[in-house]
Amino acid sequence: MMDLAAAHAGFVIAAYAISAVFLSVLLAAVMLRRRRLSKEEQKLKPGGDGK
Amino acid sequence: MINVPARSISDRALSTLNASFKADRDLRLKGYSDAMQFLANPTIFMRLANAVLPWAWTAAALCFAAGLYMALISSPTDYQKGETVRIMYVHVPAAWLALFIYVLMAVASAVALIFRHPLADAAAKAAGPLGAVFCFLALVTGAIWGKPMWGTWWVWDARLTSMFILMLLYLAYLAIWQAFDDPHLAAGLARVVALVGVIMVPIIKFSVEWWNTLHQPASLAKLAIDPAMLWPLLLMALAYTLFFLCLHLTAIGNEITARKLRAARLKAIAST
Repeated sequence: MMDLAAAHAGFVIAAYAISAVFLSVLLAAVMLRRRRLSKEEQKLKPGGDGK
Repeated sequence: MINVPARSISDRALSTLNASFKADRDLRLKGYSDAMQFLANPTIFMRLANAVLPWAWTAAALCFAAGLYMALISSPTDYQKGETVRIMYVHVPAAWLALFIYVLMAVASAVALIFRHPLADAAAKAAGPLGAVFCFLALVTGAIWGKPMWGTWWVWDARLTSMFILMLLYLAYLAIWQAFDDPHLAAGLARVVALVGVIMVPIIKFSVEWWNTLHQPASLAKLAIDPAMLWPLLLMALAYTLFFLCLHLTAIGNEITARKLRAARLKAIAST
């Protein structure tokens, strides 16, 4: 198991934290775009919100 | 009784057989072509992607859970690198994916250039931002590994510099798609960047062998890695790849929807 008190543990935590943050942001960006485009597509359909 | 020469009968049988073979071959070729067109059809593609995605997301989540457990808990520390060896489990998969995605973009761009299929362009365009993030993560986690190991965040050695150039190529690819209002012009230029830039992939791969670099040479190809560290690395690489697959399929779907919306808007403008 990882020793959190080890000399360079902070670097390991930083690498995992940065990876987690950027991958989460990427996931959120793709999913939010999907949601926005689906809404716009619904509006364009006959009987959608835009009609 | 009609007297037909034996040779005439065999000639006729042969020509019938030949015609049958030709018809069979044509039917098979049409079958392959139909299958290719069927799979490349955006509507069919989205239906298949929607069927695959829940399974792929589940597999990615399970691989991440198992991979992180092995990377942070069950794998041992390195006798030289200590705890910093654990950075390898996020750095190496990100670097592999950055290279793989660029090759994927180049292949998709070549398919779009040769066959003029819009789905190939959509696949290449959707892969761009994902590859850029993985390339950025490879550079940042590499720098975090470099500080305690080499005593510096960055050196302009062959591996790091070539990876930095790949990052610039990703940024150029993304910038081209954003810079032009005409999507056909943007697609043409983006294809050129993807196809010319793919030359960087073998340069990055062999940079540690061709030049004297601070970056360590490949450990996996020479099996210079203990199984206790190899398995978490492979599991994390699988998790990253599945995560990319899920994001890429979703992003291609987004791209198809965006193009449909653009076409609908242009149609509405033209009709007014």
